[in-house]
Amino acid sequence: MGERLKGKVAVVTGAGRGIGRGHAILFASEGAKVVVNDLGGAADGSGASKGPADEVVDEIKKAGGEAIASYESVATPEGGENIIKAAIDTFGRLDILVNNAGVLRDRMVFNMTEEEWDTVMKVHLYGTFNCSKPAAVIFRQQRGGRIVNTSSTSGLGNRGQANYAAAKEGITGLTRTLARDLGRYGVTANAIRPAAATRMTVSPEMEAARKKRQETGQPTPAYDITALSPDAIAPLAVFLCTDEAANINGCSFFARIGQISLMTDPAIWRSIHKDGRWTVDELCDIVPRSLAVGLVNPSPPEPPKE
Amino acid sequence: MADRLKGKVAVVTGAGRGLGRCHALALAAEGAKLVINDLGGAVDGSGAAKGPADEVVEEIKKMGGEAVANYDSVTTFQAGENIVKTAVDSFGRIDILVNNAGVLRDRMVFNMSHEEWDTVIKVHLYGHFNTTKNACVVMRQQKSGRIINTSSAAGLGNMGQANYSAAKEGIVGFTRTVAIDMGRYGVTCNAIRPLAGTRMTLTPELFDAWKKRGMSEEQIRGMFPGPEDVSPMVVFLCTDEAANINGRTFDVGGGNIGLYTEPENFRSIFKAGMFTLDEVCNLIPKTLARGLQNPSPPAPPKE
Repeated sequence: MGERLKGKVAVVTGAGRGIGRGHAILFASEGAKVVVNDLGGAADGSGASKGPADEVVDEIKKAGGEAIASYESVATPEGGENIIKAAIDTFGRLDILVNNAGVLRDRMVFNMTEEEWDTVMKVHLYGTFNCSKPAAVIFRQQRGGRIVNTSSTSGLGNRGQANYAAAKEGITGLTRTLARDLGRYGVTANAIRPAAATRMTVSPEMEAARKKRQETGQPTPAYDITALSPDAIAPLAVFLCTDEAANINGCSFFARIGQISLMTDPAIWRSIHKDGRWTVDELCDIVPRSLAVGLVNPSPPEPPKE
Repeated sequence: MADRLKGKVAVVTGAGRGLGRCHALALAAEGAKLVINDLGGAVDGSGAAKGPADEVVEEIKKMGGEAVANYDSVTTFQAGENIVKTAVDSFGRIDILVNNAGVLRDRMVFNMSHEEWDTVIKVHLYGHFNTTKNACVVMRQQKSGRIINTSSAAGLGNMGQANYSAAKEGIVGFTRTVAIDMGRYGVTCNAIRPLAGTRMTLTPELFDAWKKRGMSEEQIRGMFPGPEDVSPMVVFLCTDEAANINGRTFDVGGGNIGLYTEPENFRSIFKAGMFTLDEVCNLIPKTLARGLQNPSPPAPPKE
C-alpha cells in the first residue's frame, strides 16, 4: 500500500461505479480513509440501491484499506451535509472532497423537459456545491484541504446536452471561484474533464460493438471511448491532493488513458477598440473583417430542400 | 429610426433597467418590435413591480416603436413559456431572444446559504433555459432566430461569487450547445461577458471598498463604462452579417469588443497505456504545472 495520502480522509461522490470507483480505490490504496458515497441509481438518476457503494467498500477492505459507505443523494443540501458529516463522524476529519456523482438526460434543447434540465442541474452542479460548501467550512477552519471537481469536454458544447454542458461548465466556473475563496486557507480546487468508458458514456449498442470486436480479434481504435479505462483518471486526482500540487489551484485538466493535459481558460483573443460608442453600421462593416474572420458555424444551416 | 431589424420581434429579459433596457432601446431603434420583460425586483431578486417594464415600453412608444410589457420572473418554466407566448400572441413570431435578467447574492462560499446559491442559479441559469427552450421550439419551425445570452468575466473566477460564477459559466456551456442544436435551423446563439456600470455592479459595497482606497465617487463610476456601450454588439449579433458567428463568447465594454477563445489542451503528457501514480506525481510538477501561480496563495502563518 502506498502512503501518499496516509492519515487523510477523503469523500468521493458517485464512487460506486465508473470513474468514482476508480478514485475511491486508488485513494484508499495510498492510505486514505474513504467515504464511498453512491445513491446506487441508474445512469438517468432513477432508483437507488446500497449495492454499488457496499461493493466498493468491500473491495477497499479486502485490499487492506479503510472505507465506509454513504448512500445519500448529492442533489439536496441535506444530502451534502450528511455526506461530509459521515466523514467527520466516522473518521474524525476531512481532507479531500472529490465531486464525481453524475447522471445524463440527453435531449435536443427544443425538446428538453423541465425535469430533464432540473435533474442534471441538481445532481452535477447543485451536488458539487452541496458537498463543497460544508467541506469549505471545515477546510477553512483547519487551514488545509483539497477539492477535485468533475467537469466535461461536453461543457465546450455537445449536441443534445444543453443541460449537461450547462451544469459541467457551471462546475468549471464554481471551481475557479472555490479556488479564489479558499486558496488563502491552504485549500486548492481544480477540475478534471475526463474521457472514459462508463455506463454513462457507453450505450448498450457501443458496448455490444466493442464485445464483437473482442470476439473477432479486431482491435478497438484508441479514440473509441469504449477503449478508455475509467481507472485512468484517478492518478491525476490523487496527485492533485498531494502537497506537491499546492501551487495548482483553479485549473482545468483533460484526462484519459495515456494523456493528461492542462487546459486553458477562455481569454480575450482578437479585439477591436474605439474611443467612444460603436454604431451598428460600424460593427456590420468591421466585425466580419476582424473579430469574425474565419469563424466557422459549428452547425451550419441545412440547405433548403429541392 | 433605422431598419436593420424591421419586422423582427425581440424579447429582452430584465429589460426594465440597466443593460436590458439599453438592449431593448437599441433593438427598437433598428425597427424591432419588443417584449419588455422585467419582474421589477431589487438587485437581490426580492420584490416585484410593473413600473420598470412599463416605463421602457413607454420610452419605445415615444420613439415611434412598438412594445408590450411582461412581468414574469424568468425562474419558472411556465414563465419561460409565457414570455415567448407573449411575443407570439402580440406580434405573431419571435426572431430575437436576449437573455439578460440577473440578480446578485455575493457571499464567500463557506458562508453562502443554500438560498443565496439557489436564487442566483435559478434567475441566471435556469432563467436562460426557461426562455430559450421555448423560443427554440418556435425558431426551429421558423428556420431562423437569434439568441444572445449574458455571461460574465466572473465566470473565470471571482472571490465571493461562487453562485454567480457557476451560473455565468454555465450559461457559456449552455450557449455552445444551443448553437450546435439550433444552428442547422438557421439560428445562432452567442454570449457576451459585458462590463458596465449598472445598479448590479455599482453596489454600495463596491463604493465602500474603493472609497477606502481613496477614490472619489466620480473616479469609481469612471471605471465602469455605460450600459449603452454594450448594446450595439448585441444588435450586430442579430443581423444577417453575423450569421456565421455561432456558439461564441464576446467581451463587450466601453469601446472594447473582444472575441474569447474556447478552452483547449495547452500542455500535454502522453504515454502508450495507463500512467502510474508514480509517473504522474513525478512528471506533472516538471511539465504541466511548471510556473503555475496560485491565484489565491495561502496567507503566511501569523507570528
